[in-house]
Amino acid sequence: MEQATPPACAAPPPVHPKSFPNGDPDAPLNPPGAKNTDSCLPLMRTGQVMHNYACNGPAPGDIAFRWIHGSVCAATNTDPDIQIVTYNEDTYILRQNVCVHWQAPFTYLLFGNRGALLIDAGATPEPEYYPLGKTVDALIRRWCAARNVPDIPLTVVLTSGEYKAQNQGLGQFAGRANTTLAPTSLAGMKSFYSLASSWPQGTGRIDLGGRIVDIIPTPGAHKDGLSFYDRYNCFLFTGDLFFPGRIQIANDRDYAASLARLVKWNRTHAIKWVMGGHIDMMFVPGRAYPRFATYKPLERLLQIDPSLIADALTQASGLIGKPGVAIRADYTLLNRVSPDEDAYYVSPDLPYINVSYWLP
Amino acid sequence: MDRRTFLSLPVASFLVPTAQAMFTAQPEAQSVPLAAQIDFTSNVPAPGTFPAKWICGSPSAKHNLDPAVQVHWYNEHTAFLRQNKAYSYEAPFMHLYFGNERILMIDQGYTQLRSDWPLRDVVDNCIAEWCRRNGRRPVDMPLLLAFTHLHDDHYAGINQFADRPNTRFMGQTHEEMLGFWGMTNYPEERVTLDLGGRDILIWGNPGHVMSEFAYYDTYTQILFTGDMFYRGRCYISFWETWFASMKRLIAFIDTHPVTHVVGCHVEMSRTGEDYPYGIMYQPDEAPWQLTVDELRHAYEFAKTITRPGIYYTGAVFLCNETRGATTIDKNSYAYD
Repeated sequence: MEQATPPACAAPPPVHPKSFPNGDPDAPLNPPGAKNTDSCLPLMRTGQVMHNYACNGPAPGDIAFRWIHGSVCAATNTDPDIQIVTYNEDTYILRQNVCVHWQAPFTYLLFGNRGALLIDAGATPEPEYYPLGKTVDALIRRWCAARNVPDIPLTVVLTSGEYKAQNQGLGQFAGRANTTLAPTSLAGMKSFYSLASSWPQGTGRIDLGGRIVDIIPTPGAHKDGLSFYDRYNCFLFTGDLFFPGRIQIANDRDYAASLARLVKWNRTHAIKWVMGGHIDMMFVPGRAYPRFATYKPLERLLQIDPSLIADALTQASGLIGKPGVAIRADYTLLNRVSPDEDAYYVSPDLPYINVSYWLP
Repeated sequence: MDRRTFLSLPVASFLVPTAQAMFTAQPEAQSVPLAAQIDFTSNVPAPGTFPAKWICGSPSAKHNLDPAVQVHWYNEHTAFLRQNKAYSYEAPFMHLYFGNERILMIDQGYTQLRSDWPLRDVVDNCIAEWCRRNGRRPVDMPLLLAFTHLHDDHYAGINQFADRPNTRFMGQTHEEMLGFWGMTNYPEERVTLDLGGRDILIWGNPGHVMSEFAYYDTYTQILFTGDMFYRGRCYISFWETWFASMKRLIAFIDTHPVTHVVGCHVEMSRTGEDYPYGIMYQPDEAPWQLTVDELRHAYEFAKTITRPGIYYTGAVFLCNETRGATTIDKNSYAYD
């Protein structure tokens, strides 16, 4: 019986040279003809896309990722130098890699219709270790492409001009076009924010084009401390003043007064989250990672409920005039003691949960 | 011989002449031809060098490209190893002493996993290199893994050696460690470990912890004082015990020639600045080795200490019964 000849093989489909299961990163946003986008941006943009930043309550947004938290051996870490979380289309949260600098500061990039605002500048000056300038440039380029504008002016401000864990990346913006850098000296800051006559009781504001950011002087952790209130997201950016960690008070009277001003501010301005500059705490009540730790697998969340400001005010008032430590579930206050004071101590009013501070 | 019996034998039983008879029948004792014997007893102290500066971290630990373990051959038969600061802030020093018959390694660093920090590979390479230079085979050289004391920055890497053939491990209880050296009168008793023509003297050196040992190499005449005395913050948990150990060290250097005193860490700059506990970059790090005079001066200084606190002797910080992570620095942003 004659065997049937096998059919000739069909030519294999041409292999595309690139394969990006999650989308081609080089492709432009919303290419002409794209129909299946879920972006809120209009498909046919003729001029700049304007947002209306006025809204009832906080703008939608979430932090849907864990923060990258270092590795057992810092030298073997392969995480990105800067982790970027898009909170919403106009708000980006940047975190320095814990293994690049143990302080792992958070930096916030906010966009309005007429300007971008970068709050804080990280702990490492060298762009090869901490490419803040390059990263912000890329985010601005991408945002401008989406909003159909050629460029947007950038203002870089600091929650404290003197704080070495938040001002080191400032030099990466020196000479950048269309950029304003806030001064780092206290006198310069006061005049920059028009607070020279009203420091520290008064407030200033920055208008990013429909999006207002209020400036609240909050000395205490630093003599030139500032907090920023974002009316769009209802965020209070407190920098080194109040964050989930071991807070070192530089002046106890100023610190309590600043917290009192923030409590008063909260009576008239809703706060969704207090966003600090660092995380030291674990998600175990009252426990914090010690200084210089580069592996923090049990790290607490960044955001703080605003009710804790009043709690911190109570604690700080009790510390006025006396050196000491107040260990609370979500933060620790240290007043005029060594930065390592009670680093491994558990407050008796908190549950004792035995956790290892690091694994060798 | 089963493993349990093997481990329970004191290592000194290899060395004490009366006990040697029971091991002469073993073939490995004869594997080294006499012609290749290295003389460790004449022309001592054997000369050696320390690096002008140890590798001491980098501004960004993540971007550190230095070797995971810095290996420094003090001389042909002595290697000092240091864990990279960017792998562990403790950056402990480890010692490799080679003898005609066996190798002693003191301390095993502060990282457990070989995939994170390949200590085992580095040590194997050192042993292979020494064997190549001296006409030995690594399989013929038993490796003894010992500790200064039972803190995890000194033993964390021990499991990397668990499957290494011809390797003995000191044990991780005080009793096991005493049994390993065959000590019956801790801490006064001084025992001698013979590495094959090279004697290591070992005695108790408590104070930082109650269970710690001092090691003295008769070939290089280097005195190794562990965490009890080093260029940094000597955390003295038990003052009386520590002071007694100091007396014992002084009595030792009165009667024995000592070229250098070395400890387990360096935590200071050349100018006497304290590098805080946990920091991973010490750009202006002081030399590791201390002089005998610095030890004597610290002893004289310690005689005047009567209360808990942190004292700087000019060479080391004596942290007398302070907390474990005490540092000297303050909040630099404080203002009135």
